[in-house]
Amino acid sequence: MVGRAWSLRVRLLLAFILLGLTTTAVVASGSYFQARRVILQQAQDDAAVSLTKQLSKLYPLGQLPPTQEQLDEMAELLSNEGWPAVLQYHEMRTWSNQVSPLLTPELQQAVGGRVVAWQRVSQDGSPVLLVGTQLLLEHPDGRSRPSGLEVYAGRSLLSEQQSIDRLAALAWTAGGLSLVLAVLLALVAAAGVLTPVRELGRAAQRLGEGDLTTRLRVRGADELAEVARTFNGTAQTLERQFIELRRMESDARRFVADVSHELRTPLAAMSAVTDVLDEEVGGLTGDAGRAARLISTETQNLARLVDDLIEVSRFDSGTARLALDDVDVAAALTATLRARGWAGRVRMELPEGIQARLDPRRLDVIVANLVGNAFRHGAEPVSLRLHAEPDWFTVEVADHGPGLDPEVLPHVFERFYKADSARTRSEGSGLGLAIAWENTRLHRHTGQPGSLTAANVSTAANVSIAGNVSIAGNVSTAGSASTAGTVSTGGAVFTLRLPRVAEEPGDGAGR
Amino acid sequence: MLLVLVTLLAAGCGVQPSGVIWGGPAVRGPAEGVSLYLVRNGTLALVIRPVAPDLPPTEVLRLLAAGPTVHERREGFTSEVPADAVPTEVAPSADGAHLVVTLSSPVTTLSVHAVRQILCTVDRAAASAGQVVTVTLHGSDGHLSPQSCPN
Repeated sequence: MVGRAWSLRVRLLLAFILLGLTTTAVVASGSYFQARRVILQQAQDDAAVSLTKQLSKLYPLGQLPPTQEQLDEMAELLSNEGWPAVLQYHEMRTWSNQVSPLLTPELQQAVGGRVVAWQRVSQDGSPVLLVGTQLLLEHPDGRSRPSGLEVYAGRSLLSEQQSIDRLAALAWTAGGLSLVLAVLLALVAAAGVLTPVRELGRAAQRLGEGDLTTRLRVRGADELAEVARTFNGTAQTLERQFIELRRMESDARRFVADVSHELRTPLAAMSAVTDVLDEEVGGLTGDAGRAARLISTETQNLARLVDDLIEVSRFDSGTARLALDDVDVAAALTATLRARGWAGRVRMELPEGIQARLDPRRLDVIVANLVGNAFRHGAEPVSLRLHAEPDWFTVEVADHGPGLDPEVLPHVFERFYKADSARTRSEGSGLGLAIAWENTRLHRHTGQPGSLTAANVSTAANVSIAGNVSIAGNVSTAGSASTAGTVSTGGAVFTLRLPRVAEEPGDGAGR
Repeated sequence: MLLVLVTLLAAGCGVQPSGVIWGGPAVRGPAEGVSLYLVRNGTLALVIRPVAPDLPPTEVLRLLAAGPTVHERREGFTSEVPADAVPTEVAPSADGAHLVVTLSSPVTTLSVHAVRQILCTVDRAAASAGQVVTVTLHGSDGHLSPQSCPN
């Protein structure tokens, strides 16, 4: 974003500078060259006219061929008029002065014809105009004949050069000023374009981060304003739909909670009835006895499902709170197994003396769900291992069944997820693992929630799927899974990772 | 592009030397003296002697027969007109169409340059404005056909 804005600014800057410089260069150099041409042409024409006037003073010519003295006299006459000159008559030439070294063969050749010719030459870097002509003699019949006398006169063009240099300085100044102007204009234009673009970028980022109330200020009526208006419209629609969705979701959750609560009362009555039926079932035979037992079982299942639903709805509404207590983890785990009559069937590796501050009821729910799940879907022996870290402890529940299908792994903690199509529907509510997972996440330590992950031992540790991918629980999962691999062959491993000291409820716990 | 532009501008600045520029016709003016035609480097060349300009043609031809001065000789001028080619008479012909110049020497043996020297010198001496003078040379051995100064 920053890089792109910079490059847009640079591009605008370059375009303006290029435009400014090109325009100035064309205009300034055009007028400069034109002015220089005019100045030089004017100076040269003036010089030719002026020299011609001076030369007319040499007539009438007295003697031809002239003597050296006469030649020098004529040169001096011209010099006195401001025209340092060289006069030449065939091999005879006036004493050399500053003009003679400047004469060029092409100028002398041109003067051999019957015209006035001139040429600009450079004398030590300063420009000099040389004007040359042959003196013609007028014949009485009107024709003129060359006398053989050639005159070359020099004139400095320094003042013209100064004028031209001033023009050049003016052109460079104009160029520099236009450059500055171009830069300023480009910056103004860039700011005009880039500020809204940057605002738009920031707003889009905020929107992307979930702040659906983000709105842009619409300024003017240009394309950028149109974009801002579109953005606002989109954000508004998104916000409306989001609110609507949230409302619908909370409605649905409340409905589930309400239904669960409403079911409780009739279920209590039904439970009472089935209790009575259970006592009488011994006397019933045939279809009546089977029906009574079926009703009894299903009523218990329904009661458990409703309890689970109520539990889940508490998590969803965010009202679930931890009731922390100091417990010995090994003792708590043993109590959980014993309470459900599993103590003899589970291979336990529970080191003594691991103390933790957590919600004992929730730990009980989690472990009971995991072990019950292992019995239902895995194969015995089921093992329970406790392992302590400085701030956390982990509990692994492993079985020796076929393991979890790789396609099932990512969804194993989802509600009512049927991992096994052949699963006996009489056992479990389908919410057990989901409730375990929610309970685990309620326990937090330094802002990090506890984790519950599932993996297959036989399919190597890296297949492990974390219940919460973003937390560090993965590391311990991989480690413990491979450890489990050394003692067992195949089966699913659920790894529970809880803090030794969970944070008090109310400071960020729950959903 | 910018660099090229700047370089071009810097190079084209100030007053640069130029080639030869041709202007109007060369300066012209009168001469004061007598015009004679001598030979220099194989061609006819004009010299002006600082004497009274209104000398009669006979006298002018006499000056021509006398040959170049020391100064003119030093500057490379020569004359092919023999010293004995002294004019005896310069007069218009009977029909007035041309000028008859009578020399005391033979004329048929004169070199081409010598004849032209005489023709042109007479032309300058006797010419009135805008008129081409045709001259017939007479001498001790006969005469030449009428001619005029070639340039």
